Amino acid sequence: MQEFQYTIQDENGIHARPAGLLVRKAQSYQSSATMIHEGKSADMKRLFALLGLNIKQGNTVTVQLSGEDEEAAAQGLKEFFGENL
Amino acid sequence: MKDKAFGVLQRIGHSFMLPISILPVAGLLLGIGSSFTNQTTLETYHLLGFMGPGTVIYSILTVMAQCGDVIFTNLPLIFAVGVGIGMAKKEKSVAALASMVAYFIMNSAISGMISIHGGAKAFLNGATCSLLGMTTFQMGALGGIIVGLGVAALHNRFYKIEFPAAFSFFQGTRFVPIISTVVFAFVGILMFYIWQPIQVGINDLGGLVSKSGVIGTFFFGLIKRLLIPFGLHHVFYLPFWQTAIGGTMQVAGKEIVGAQNIFFAQLADPSTMHFSTLATRFFTGEFILYIFGFPGAALAMYRCARPEKKKEVYGLLLSASLTAILTGITEPIEFSFIFVAPALYAINTVLAGLAYAVAQLLNIAVGLTFSGGFIDLFLFGILQGNSKTSWLLILPVGIVYFAVYYFTFSFFIKKWNLKTPGRETDDEETKLYTRADYEKKRSASKTGKKEESERLSASIVKGLGGKANISDVDCCATRLRITVADSDLVNDSILKSTGAAGVVHRGTGVQVVYGPKVTVIKSNLDDYLAKPAEEAEVPEAPEPAASEAETAEKQNKDEPKASSPQKSVVYAPLNGRVMELSEIGDGVFSEEMLGKGFAVDPSEGKVVAPFDCTVETVFDTKHAINLKSGNVELMIHIGLDTVRLDGNGFDIRVQEGDKLKKGDLIGYFDMEAIQKEGYRLVTPVIIANTDEWKKIELLKKGSVTAGEKILRLE
Repeated sequence: MQEFQYTIQDENGIHARPAGLLVRKAQSYQSSATMIHEGKSADMKRLFALLGLNIKQGNTVTVQLSGEDEEAAAQGLKEFFGENL
Repeated sequence: MKDKAFGVLQRIGHSFMLPISILPVAGLLLGIGSSFTNQTTLETYHLLGFMGPGTVIYSILTVMAQCGDVIFTNLPLIFAVGVGIGMAKKEKSVAALASMVAYFIMNSAISGMISIHGGAKAFLNGATCSLLGMTTFQMGALGGIIVGLGVAALHNRFYKIEFPAAFSFFQGTRFVPIISTVVFAFVGILMFYIWQPIQVGINDLGGLVSKSGVIGTFFFGLIKRLLIPFGLHHVFYLPFWQTAIGGTMQVAGKEIVGAQNIFFAQLADPSTMHFSTLATRFFTGEFILYIFGFPGAALAMYRCARPEKKKEVYGLLLSASLTAILTGITEPIEFSFIFVAPALYAINTVLAGLAYAVAQLLNIAVGLTFSGGFIDLFLFGILQGNSKTSWLLILPVGIVYFAVYYFTFSFFIKKWNLKTPGRETDDEETKLYTRADYEKKRSASKTGKKEESERLSASIVKGLGGKANISDVDCCATRLRITVADSDLVNDSILKSTGAAGVVHRGTGVQVVYGPKVTVIKSNLDDYLAKPAEEAEVPEAPEPAASEAETAEKQNKDEPKASSPQKSVVYAPLNGRVMELSEIGDGVFSEEMLGKGFAVDPSEGKVVAPFDCTVETVFDTKHAINLKSGNVELMIHIGLDTVRLDGNGFDIRVQEGDKLKKGDLIGYFDMEAIQKEGYRLVTPVIIANTDEWKKIELLKKGSVTAGEKILRLE
């Protein structure tokens, strides 16, 4: 399993548009992708679950990846966060 | 018919680009070589001892000058082959060979006719010249272009021809050089008779432009700018550069035809005191425009952009300006305003015409090989010295032009509220947003570069209406030029999401403006198109948006993820007008990146439950609500980009966990206040778990009241 943490920089948090892109990105990997914030966790391949976490600017989220391409997924998602959130 | 003509002209214009692209190199060689072998220059700078005749440097420079000169001398042949390649649809290499053969044949035929009729002496002075050892007519690049076009026409017609078995060796592509030889022997004979009156006519037209003097120069500049958006400027200016329309002059004892040829002949001639504006009047104005005028326009657009957009447009305008200043490629900057603000385009053409005229009036004479950027100014202005070119005058005129562009653009942008970059309404603004996103993503995934270029190609193909819709792909310095079967299938917004600055339509001809990187895009696109269909399909492309709809559909067809036996119906949550998501045109919701669904343009600021459901999430910013009913996950997103309002204008009356009946009140929103802040009210209603449904069908469009059936899910 791969895990990393990220603090959201985008002033609007994870709102609809970036969430949509993030779900697409997560879906492009085979590994399962889970986001955890304040005890709540969400499947990152499901838009609804992800939006349900209500992530705001300054929140630190934990992302867990597990599966065959978990390393690539961790790398790809880290980059995605850095670029978009 | 008109559309078809445009398509052909577009291809011809493109086919000039390959031969023209040689000119900067040839110009560099000739420019540097002849500048520093010029006796006067060497004497002036006391360099005779260091690099005068007899030194190694002098020898190298002489060879350089000769190598550059040979390109200009044989430009007709280069054009013949280049145009042949550009216009041939397939088997381009064969067309190249056939063009060369045809060019030799045509000139030999003319040469034969001339000697029959008494040799060169029997003809007008300057009518004949010696080319590749043949005494032939002075036809300039046009002669080459005639050959290229003719051979390509023969080639496209015959390259697949079939013969009886006995002659089968000569069928197909092998037949093309054969038929070209036969045809162009006759063309040569014909040319002998046609060309004499044409020479008279061209000389007269050239005389007319010459006689109309500065006015003629003004119209040359104006028309050239006018043609830029249509990509037809190459067809227009080339005769001036290369034929007698652009003037005829005695240089170093030889009769030289065409403005560019005259300039370079003078450049190679050490006895030249000052270059003639007769030739350079078709060039010099460009330096004033490209190095000074357009950056002034860019500054005006930057200053007029909305404060929050300035950062975004800064990059665009700065790089576009630098491209224009350095290389003289101006499409990036011009396309940033001519489509969105035709008024500026009109002003631009007049100012351009004036720039050419002013340069002529002030006797500024700087030639160019390719375009009026700093590189050419340096080589053919600064390096040649002020005494020969008066290039220093470009500076004050340029500064005036910078100011004129800056102030006229600023004035009209504000007066008419023109939508130059950074002043768009929200609609377009979000397009910029998604494109920026796309660029970011692209740079993010360095690992998958090849994959990335394939995805880009894939979405360009989608934007062009699919592989089957594309009949021909070409490119020039900045545009992808495509001929499509059905122009209705072309989707501009998809094309723009791939990084295009603009899209031009003319019937079945489509031009997509990418800037100088277009050659790479075209090569990738060619590779992509050449692949078999299955392979070419990029299976899991999270980007670009455009392919999403199909991918989603495919997923649904092939592998419905979860079993969802129930059917479900979504009712309208608002009064207003229901439309397809694609009609939003925002580049995100419209591309179904968040899922399928519909959008409502509300007529009342009240939202109700679209079915019996549980409230999953109410965003802190109140602009979006997630609802769950059975296995339907639905999001109502009130307005576009309204996340930025931070809750202002929204009065949501439900909380997470609330159970609602269809039609129960969810909340209110202040339509006036939200619009006043500059946001669109159109409200996407999205099925967030679209991929768990086989079929999502829109039942009703147009005006609805809350509670009407809108969407059926299966």
